[in-house]
Amino acid sequence: MTTLSRRQFLRTSGTGVGLGLLAAGGLTGCATTPGPKTGRRVVVIGGGWGGATAAKYVRLADPSIEVVLLEPNKEFVSCPFSNLVLSGVKSLESMTFGYDGLRRHGVKVLHQAATAIEPDKKRVRVGDDAIEYDRLIVSPGIDFQWERVEGLAAAKDTVLHAWKAGPQTVALARQLQSMADGGVFVMSIPLMAYRCPPGPYERACQVAWYLKTNKPRAKLIVLDANKNIVSKTGLFQAAFKNYPNLEYRPASRVEKIDTSAREVTTEIGDRVKYDVINLIPPQRAGAIAVQADLVGADKRWCEVNHVTYESVKQKGIHVIGDATIGLPVPKSGTMANSMGKISASAVVHLLGGKEPPQMPPVNVCYSWVSNREAIAVINAYRIAQGKVVMIEQKLTSQNVAVAQNSEGWARSIWNDILG
Amino acid sequence: MTNSIRLFVGCASLILVLALYGGAAAGPLDPGYPKAFSCSACHGFAGASGADTVPVLAGMQSWYLKKAIQDYASGKRPSPEMESYSKMVLELGVDDVAGYFARQKRQPSPVRLDSAAVERGRAASTQCVVCHGAQGKGDPAKGIPDLTGQPPGYLKNQMLLFKADRRSPGDETLKSLKALMKAIPDDQASDLAAYYSSLR
Repeated sequence: MTTLSRRQFLRTSGTGVGLGLLAAGGLTGCATTPGPKTGRRVVVIGGGWGGATAAKYVRLADPSIEVVLLEPNKEFVSCPFSNLVLSGVKSLESMTFGYDGLRRHGVKVLHQAATAIEPDKKRVRVGDDAIEYDRLIVSPGIDFQWERVEGLAAAKDTVLHAWKAGPQTVALARQLQSMADGGVFVMSIPLMAYRCPPGPYERACQVAWYLKTNKPRAKLIVLDANKNIVSKTGLFQAAFKNYPNLEYRPASRVEKIDTSAREVTTEIGDRVKYDVINLIPPQRAGAIAVQADLVGADKRWCEVNHVTYESVKQKGIHVIGDATIGLPVPKSGTMANSMGKISASAVVHLLGGKEPPQMPPVNVCYSWVSNREAIAVINAYRIAQGKVVMIEQKLTSQNVAVAQNSEGWARSIWNDILG
Repeated sequence: MTNSIRLFVGCASLILVLALYGGAAAGPLDPGYPKAFSCSACHGFAGASGADTVPVLAGMQSWYLKKAIQDYASGKRPSPEMESYSKMVLELGVDDVAGYFARQKRQPSPVRLDSAAVERGRAASTQCVVCHGAQGKGDPAKGIPDLTGQPPGYLKNQMLLFKADRRSPGDETLKSLKALMKAIPDDQASDLAAYYSSLR
């Protein structure tokens, strides 16, 4: 028997959670790259709802596989629930978590950004370094198409989207709080497809609730590029009736912003003055997916196999989460979490030379429509002829119990992703 | 290192690895695991729910989980979330899913309990022991579930659903249970939920 170093032992012996902790603390804490590949290695790009879940679930399914997660942010901030930071119902801290839980599973978390993918060499570039992989899972999230709104690219540091939870969420909450009573808060919603279809309407409810409670003479104008509310339509229409201070304008795509005049212009030529603007720009898959040519002809979203989430364009690369298109599913956190588990299982099966199981994803989206009540949409799916097909969609009524369920869901799913 | 020491270290390492790996692999190697991992988004990994209103599935007896899935799917138990997901479970194979959760180690809810409420609940529980037993473990032969270690929010919500006749409406076998629930004030339902959550 040959002598193994502790590093080799940990890499090759199918170490479980306990030794994973040692690996994280002792061996990879300071590493900038994981070094040459010695066994089977899965690299995951992006530590959000999809990527963090996938990284953990590969390790849970087969601890002999080395998993490297590339995520530039040191903390995970939940987008779901972050609209409640605007209304002051929740704090951003209550939905901010570290990545130590993943390290305890033996995931090598590197807080660096993937700069390029080289599919022919099966490696990911991180600056000058390269990380080899056997299979790659890309969970790139979304990036914004600033150029699609005139004047936005130049003003993108001051015109807040708050559509990636973090400093912008807190900054927008401050702007809302500082706005004078009698002021006008304008928010714009891009055309589908975008991250979290019900999110903007939940945000409208939260801003309207805050204004109704704290600044009764102020007003919210919602400029929606879509012809109608795109998610939980009847439920949001009913919720909006509780807010006489909310003016909803459908088919009002914002084409231009003039920050000096504090004014936006819609596609039908309406000019709307604002005191506070929240412009949610059109979106596409995260930049790395575009750069690696994982996106389709639209140059925005990634088509994938419905069973394995392998890219239809690049073999050995799986794409999950909001960046995907072509499945009858919303771009939601639950869906990204679901895709993370299914893709992890598929990757482990494929690396073992086995047929991946045909597992359908699940979805639930909760939206808070006041400080204490929520609504929800639930989607169930099956796989038929290799494609994800929806079995049914259910909507809940607006009530406190749904809000309680959403808090239970959040606690559980955050732990499922990172714990 | 001599060969015998190397052999000893090697064997000890293997035993350690098997011990650690065994715990982790009990899930993924189970035939029900891939059919059940979607549940962890709400019910926690391997059914160890940490949420107040979401039941613990880890170690749940399979007869009860199967009944619950059937009742949710048919709408007898009202839950928009569970109605849809139960239909998925029935398509994927309820026996595999229920078997998987039954094989997991029982994890009592970690939701913190008010000790005064637990004591009040204990005192009020005499009305429940007739069916659920002195230890709250129920009786599978009579279709009576184990309540122990479930989250208090979940237990209370079920009592309120029975009280309002929204769970299994029209079910003759639950008539006396619902009559009892109607006599229990909501505050006492909270106490009873805390007490049964505290039992192991």
